[in-house]
Parts: sequence; structure tokens; C-alpha cells
Amino acid sequence: MSRAEPGTSRLYHRLMVYLLFIILLLPLAGTLLYSLATSWSASLLPSGLTFKWYLALWSDPRFLAAFGQSLLVCVGALLLSVLLILPLLFVVHYHFPRLDALMNILILLPFAVPPVVSSVGLLQLYGSGPMAMVGTPWILIGCYFTVALPFMYRAITNNLQAINLRDLMDAAQLLGASTFQAAFLVVLPNLRKGLLVALLLSFSFLFGEFVFANLLVGTRYETLQVYLNNMRNSSGHFNSALVISYFLFVLVLTWAANRLNKDKS
Amino acid sequence: MSFVSVQNLQKSYGASPVFTDINCQIQRGEFVTLLGPSGCGKSTLLRCIAGLTAVDSGKILLDGNDLVPLSPQKRGIGMVFQSYALFPNMTVEQNVAFGLRMQKVNADDSRSRVREVLQLVELQDFASRYPHQLSGGQCQRVALARSLVTRPRLLLLDEPLSALDARIRKHLREQIRQIQRELGLTTIFVTHDQEEALTMSDRIFLMNQGRIVQSGDAETLYTAPVDVFAAGFIGNYNLLDADSASRLLQRPVNSRLAIRPEAIALSLSGELEGQVRSHSLLGNVIRYRVEARGVELLVDVLNRSSADLHPDGQRVSLSIDPTALCEVA
Amino acid sequence: MNSIKRSKWLASLFLLPFALFFIIFQIAPLAWVAIHSLQAESGWGLANFSKVFESRFYRQAIQHSLEISFWSSVFGILIAVLGSYSLRKVDSRLRDFVNAFANMTSNFAGVPLAFAFIILLGFNGALTMLLKQAGIIEDFNLYSKTGLIILYTYFQIPLGVLLLYPAFDALREDWRESAELLGANAWQYWLHIGLPVMTPALLGTFVILLANALGAYATVYALTTGNFNVLPIRIAALVAGDISLDPNLASALAVILVGLMTLVTVIHQWLLKRSYHVAR
Repeated sequence: MSRAEPGTSRLYHRLMVYLLFIILLLPLAGTLLYSLATSWSASLLPSGLTFKWYLALWSDPRFLAAFGQSLLVCVGALLLSVLLILPLLFVVHYHFPRLDALMNILILLPFAVPPVVSSVGLLQLYGSGPMAMVGTPWILIGCYFTVALPFMYRAITNNLQAINLRDLMDAAQLLGASTFQAAFLVVLPNLRKGLLVALLLSFSFLFGEFVFANLLVGTRYETLQVYLNNMRNSSGHFNSALVISYFLFVLVLTWAANRLNKDKS
Repeated sequence: MSFVSVQNLQKSYGASPVFTDINCQIQRGEFVTLLGPSGCGKSTLLRCIAGLTAVDSGKILLDGNDLVPLSPQKRGIGMVFQSYALFPNMTVEQNVAFGLRMQKVNADDSRSRVREVLQLVELQDFASRYPHQLSGGQCQRVALARSLVTRPRLLLLDEPLSALDARIRKHLREQIRQIQRELGLTTIFVTHDQEEALTMSDRIFLMNQGRIVQSGDAETLYTAPVDVFAAGFIGNYNLLDADSASRLLQRPVNSRLAIRPEAIALSLSGELEGQVRSHSLLGNVIRYRVEARGVELLVDVLNRSSADLHPDGQRVSLSIDPTALCEVA
Repeated sequence: MNSIKRSKWLASLFLLPFALFFIIFQIAPLAWVAIHSLQAESGWGLANFSKVFESRFYRQAIQHSLEISFWSSVFGILIAVLGSYSLRKVDSRLRDFVNAFANMTSNFAGVPLAFAFIILLGFNGALTMLLKQAGIIEDFNLYSKTGLIILYTYFQIPLGVLLLYPAFDALREDWRESAELLGANAWQYWLHIGLPVMTPALLGTFVILLANALGAYATVYALTTGNFNVLPIRIAALVAGDISLDPNLASALAVILVGLMTLVTVIHQWLLKRSYHVAR
């Protein structure tokens, strides 16, 4: 930092941060404005403001169905994740700590393998035959489980390490608890907050997922993102209201997760 | 004319002042220590002289020129940090040569000057090592070499030995002082360790809460502290308020007195009687807690022979050197 | 000893459901793709791959994918570096707010983002109008490679900021001060010390951004209704499109896509080994 002119460097940094903010804000702001505009074509600013697009959106049964179906799939996937991952984490960290290294590699797979690539195999394997689930929400729930896996595994692992799982379990068992009792009564309550934060963040991520939803299920079980894409030919204002509604919903979730995170410390 | 002159220096962080109106003079070639507890402002003062922290008002004159408007690059000052601050992506040689590179010294001159200064700190064989391959003491010697090679007019050291263990610290202390004498380099050293200050410095500035409480050579600071803080910081002074002092010496005393533990002698018979309460063996010195006339005193006795060992409870007689009685504010 | 062994066996039973689902939904599809990439009408072999590399069309898809990913990652990381560095230097209120905002905009990728950009930068978009009036551009086609690069850059920025913000922890302030006292100005500090020390983190982030862009499907699909020639679109078209379905060829393309991502990671590791070793 230059001693001779600390004011200038402070100004520079503020400027850069505001620039960053504006760059990130522009698309959002534009969409928001468009969703509130009566009409806005080929001119710099909209001609008037109105809420009618939001009213139209929230009274559209197809939208509400899509919203509901998205909710169902995401909640279902997260439920499945919790049921599968919690026991996994517990067993790995308590009984087989060396498996953690292997797990850390495995959870890279959903990141390293793009959803398009997995979809190729998924469509062929489960499109027909004994395990046909393409076109149903079930395949989505399964795939979303793999998508949420890295987030949830890492978040809960950090949590487990922070509460020192082994010592807690050993102490509980010395006091007479069985493994199950110790897990449910002692460990689980301590994981609550970390679990909740992980769930909220995974949920926001899953809610915005498009690739699997479109390729594997499409209109047969229309989630919100697929609905959004299918409505591309209707009014841009309507679409903007849709986008903003979706974003506000996700915003609330991430804000809640942030608050919970801060409370933790 | 002093070589370094700090005049009316003021510095605050927001509403809390670090120092208000600091003044001090340093002669050319002097080794001066800023000594004091954490938070007294000594490191901040050093950083102000280096230009790494801005001052609110005042002047810092180096050989007649005011440094305050100059950026750190232009001050011609070398500095050694507590954390060494060696650049991790460069070898020892490249680290040391960095300042010369910034001065655009040509490659041959640079190489020979680097070699010269590495020999000075006895690290000429380590030129192609990286910082993470060196021990703490070696890192600090490289940091010293790096700051010396540019031939600065003033050398600043910010608690350079605090992160090192005791044996290395002693060795480096001597090495730094020796190099400083050889080069005749004006040096300001910051530490909270009084032993370091006493052994290394020509003069010490004792600081507390942003003020220079006392300045002088080691002997003066040690034997004649001016106030309670100074007496409490240097050495293990016995601090007596006026009443206790009167009771002990059986004559009226108007101010607080400080008495060094080694200035009190113990014998088995004499006028001032007391009793040994406890003792601890510090190696070459035995430290006794003695109570005399209701006053508890620390007495240090050289561990010369078994005659100097007094068991707890023993009745002893104290004799205090009258010239060692120090009146403190 | 026996009871511990027994409890371990019991415990490993709990691993089974997870393993089952993971295999069904992650491993099996991947294995299918890998195997079938080598199966063509003529039987086993590299027929699919040679078909891809001999076709100008598919080569163009690969080229487009690489170009868009590369440039969006370069611009994205540039903006993210400057942004996150300044973010660390401003007061905590502004910093926390912009940080949270950047995190939330990372959710704004895919279809919604494509629509937002159409509104802003489409043929009749507000920003397009503005820039035309100001005379800065003549005509802007969002649905071109350039448009896509801009769009991709946008969603790379939050990811870049997320990854780079903590990476600046590696830069110690006393290196900067030391360099200043030795005569270095800000440029020289960054050139000789700052950037070299940050290089591992910068490279790592760049690789992640590249992989992120290479695999992206939703954004480009929504923007161009699947009409722009990039690898993910080509792959999807061969398995879920209206025209010719060729899952084996799609598998080969998929293997190439994953191969590109792996290649990038390998280069990254190799480059890391070549730079100086910092004791961790």
C-alpha cells in the first residue's frame, strides 16, 4: 500500500468492488425491470410499470404445477440423500476412517463428469427394460442425489470433524448407550445446524438444475427450469417475472442458510 | 547534530492515540533499542520511521532530510522483520539480490556484493537454497543480509529474535552487534526482552503507553529507574511505598523507593534483622524472600558456596547499600 | 475383539444402500459411455472417434467448445482476481454485502441467465440500444461465439471470486513491506513476488473454470435453442434430439469431452510441479 497516497488506493479498491457489483447486477436488474414493465421494446427504458405479469404468472396453473413438481423432486432427492449419506458418513468416520480418502475422490465424480455425459448412459440404461425410469421423477431424484452428494458430504464431514465424533461416541458408550442410541441422541443433534445449511444450499443448487431435467424427463414431468425453457416463445415480460420469482425464492433460501451459518459461530 | 531526529511525532488510530508528541535523537553509528511491553507503541514508531505506517504530524529527520513525505522505497532504510519476510519464490541469493535489482545495479556488481554480504552472515554455502529449506536462525541471517546489501543509512530491526529459540538468539545477538560495529551502521532495535536490550545497546529508550519514559545507557537505566514503571520493567526491583520504606530504614522517607535485590547482602548477624520466608534456586543466583520489619523483600545472593544457602525460617540480618536506594516517581 | 469385528461388519452393511444408488446413477452410466464409445456398427474399435475427427462439423464443435471455454475463463479469472483482491481491501460492510451477492448470483446460471442476457443484449436489448446510441458498437449478435463468451464469462465470475478470495491469504503483508523498503513499487512487487506466489492458486482456479465452461449445457441450449455447435449440444442432440440418434457416437464425443477436461487437469499438475515448491 503506498504510504504517500493511501486515499487513492482506497478509492481504487472501492471502485473495483462497485464495478464488480454492477457487472453482476446488470442482468438481474434488467430482468427485474423487464418483469415490471408494461412494454419495453427497442428503447432505453420501459414505457410503464405494472405488476400484471406477476399476477399472470402466479395464477397460471402450469407454472404452479411446475413449481410444485420442482419442489417435490428436490425435497425427495434431499430426503434420499440424508437417508443414504448420514449413515455412510457415520460408518466411514467411526469405523473406516481410511475410506475418507477414497470418498473424497468419489465425490469428485459428479463434478468431473458433466451431466450431459452421464445423461448419455442414463438414457440408454434406464430408457427401457427392467429399470426403466426415464420420463419419471424417480430418475431425477436419483440423479439429483449424486448432484447434492459432494456438497452434503463435505459440509457434514467438516461438521463431524469439528465435533470430534470418536470422542463423543466413546464417551456416550462408556456411559451405557448402544451405538444406535449414541448416534441418535448425541451425534445427530450436534449435526443439526450443519446439516440444515448443507440442505438449504443443495436445495438452491438443485432447484436450478436443467440438464438432467430436460434430457431425462422433459415435459413428461415438467420442473420449473424446463417450464421456463418451454415458455421461451411467450411474452418476454412473463418470462422475466418467472425468472425473478425463481431467483427471489432461491435468494430467500441462501439468505436463510447464510444466517444459520453465522449463528453457528 | 544528531543523525536521526524524531520531532513531535503524533499518531492515532481513529480516536485512540498511539503516541502524542514523541521526540528522540540518535547519533550516527549508534545502536539504540526501543524497549517496552506489548502495546507501548515501539513497533509503531519503528514502522513510522520506515514509512510503512503514516504519521499524523511531526518530522522524522535522517541526516537533515525529513522522511515523512517520502515513500518507503525512497528512504534508504533497511529493515528486518520478526517473521523474516523472505520471498518464498526466490532462492537465498535472489532474495538478497532483490534490493540491488531494484536499484538497477548491474549483474556482476550485484553478484559480488551478494557474495560478500552472505560471507558476512556466514551463509555463503546456502546461496541456492529456498527459504523453506532453511532453519529460523538461517532465515533471519538471510533477512539481515538482504537489508544490509543495499548499504542503507539506517537499519531497523523489529523484534527479529523473538521467534527463535534461546541458544540461536544468543548467538545471533552477538553476530548482529558485531556486524553493526564493523559497518558503523546506525541501528534501531525493537524488543520487549530487557536482557537483549541491556546486552546489545549503546542506548535504550524505554517506552510505555506511547511515551518515552526514560532514555540512557544500559547501566543508567538499570541502576537508576525514574519511575515505578521503569523500576518494574527492568530487573526485579523491590518497590516500597514511602511508609514501608520509612519503617524499614527507620528514618522518614518522602517518596517511593526502589531497591535492587542484589544490592542487599545477607549475613547471620547485624542490625537490620529479618527472616527467610522462601527461596528459589536460579542456578548461579539464589533468590530469597526475606521479611524484615514487616516489609517483604527479594534478595539475590550469588551462589558461591554452601555458606550462601539459608534455609527457610532462618533468622538473617540484611545490609542495604545506601547508594542503591533509588527514589522513583 | 470379536464384538468389534462384528460391529464393523454390521456397519459396512449401512454402506450398501449408498453404494447401490451411487453405482446406479453415477458409475453405471459412466461405464456405459466408456464402453459404448468403442462400439460402432462395425463392432469394437475406434470407429466412432475417427468419425468425429474426420468430420469438419464435429471438429468445429470441439474448437468452439475450447475457444469459448478458454476465453470466458481468461476474462472471468481476470475480473475475479481484480474483484476479489479489492474486495479484501474494502471495509467489512461493503465486503460482506458484495461477497454474499456474488455467492447468490452463482445460482443465476443456466436458463434464467440466458433469458436475462437476451433482454439486455439481444437484438432489441436495452444495453444493445444504449451501446448503439453511444456509437460504441455497430451491431451486436448475442447468439454468436462472442456473445457466448460474454455470457459464459458472466457465470464464471462468481465461481472465480469464491475460489480466489481465500487464496489471497497466501500473500503475507510483510513481503509487500519488505519489497517496498528494498525499493520496489507496486508493479515490481506483483511481478516478482505477488504473482509468482499466487500462481498455483490462479492456475488451479483457471482449470476449474475451464472444466466448468466445457461441460456447460443449460446456458447455451437456452440461448440458442440447441443450435450452436459446441460439444455438449452435439452430445445431447445424438441421444435426445429429433434427428438421428446415435448413442455410441454420443459416447465417443462424451469421452472426448471428459478427455479434454482430464487433459487440462494433467497440464495443470505438470505446470504446478515446474513452479517452485513452497513448504506447506
